Amino acid sequence: MKVMPTLEGGLRIDLEDRDDWGFLYAIHHDVTACDSHLADRLGSAVSHQEIADDWREFVVPDLDLSFSSQLNVVAEAITRARDEADDGPGTLWIRRDDAYDWYGALNQARLAIEECHHFGPGESVDPLSLEPGARQAFLRSQFYCALQSLLLENGMG
Amino acid sequence: MSPIEMTDSETATATQENTQLDLPWNVVVFDDPVNLMGYVTWVFMKVFGYTESKAATLMMEVHQLGRSVVWTGGREKAEFYTQQLQSHQLKTSLEKAA
Repeated sequence: MKVMPTLEGGLRIDLEDRDDWGFLYAIHHDVTACDSHLADRLGSAVSHQEIADDWREFVVPDLDLSFSSQLNVVAEAITRARDEADDGPGTLWIRRDDAYDWYGALNQARLAIEECHHFGPGESVDPLSLEPGARQAFLRSQFYCALQSLLLENGMG
Repeated sequence: MSPIEMTDSETATATQENTQLDLPWNVVVFDDPVNLMGYVTWVFMKVFGYTESKAATLMMEVHQLGRSVVWTGGREKAEFYTQQLQSHQLKTSLEKAA
């Protein structure tokens, strides 16, 4: 897999085979398999008694919808590109207009992985000391982080 | 205040008005090991319109101290900003300013 910025402020991802496509599909899987309660967790940070109930009732559902929408944008883009490539070599384009949704979906995946595995700051983790499943999750999180950095530098300025 | 004379069967009702200024609210952002420093700075610039320098200073405060009061003011606007920051996946809370 190769990832490179485009002149229009997006990203171009060249994928070689089914494994590469699987890597991208793992974004959605990581969010839903590890932790699907990001909106609840964020909302629970508002605990002041004057506000907390209304926050749960009115704000948390909106957050949930917004996070789901980001995942849908990403899932549809991956499915469209994979169908065109027939699971083989192909290219996925992330347009500048979609950069924020991609960033958000990748962030959800990393937050979910962190919620499951509690790695802490990435630089303090030795991947070789992790169990295979945790190591794979950590490496996916690092890959998502690299994509996020490119999106931040290139498409979200 | 003069004393109120009452018989045993009467009830005296006194109304006392107590007016005080509403306290401002703090919007507080907490550190986490996932959100990138550049992203947090970008969000502060986007949501509050802060300069890059001010946004980066607040971001470093979050990173180094674990939390930062990023805005203080009226409740309605504080709620709006908190919702905006949470929608950007930053752990954010509201508290009454001391």
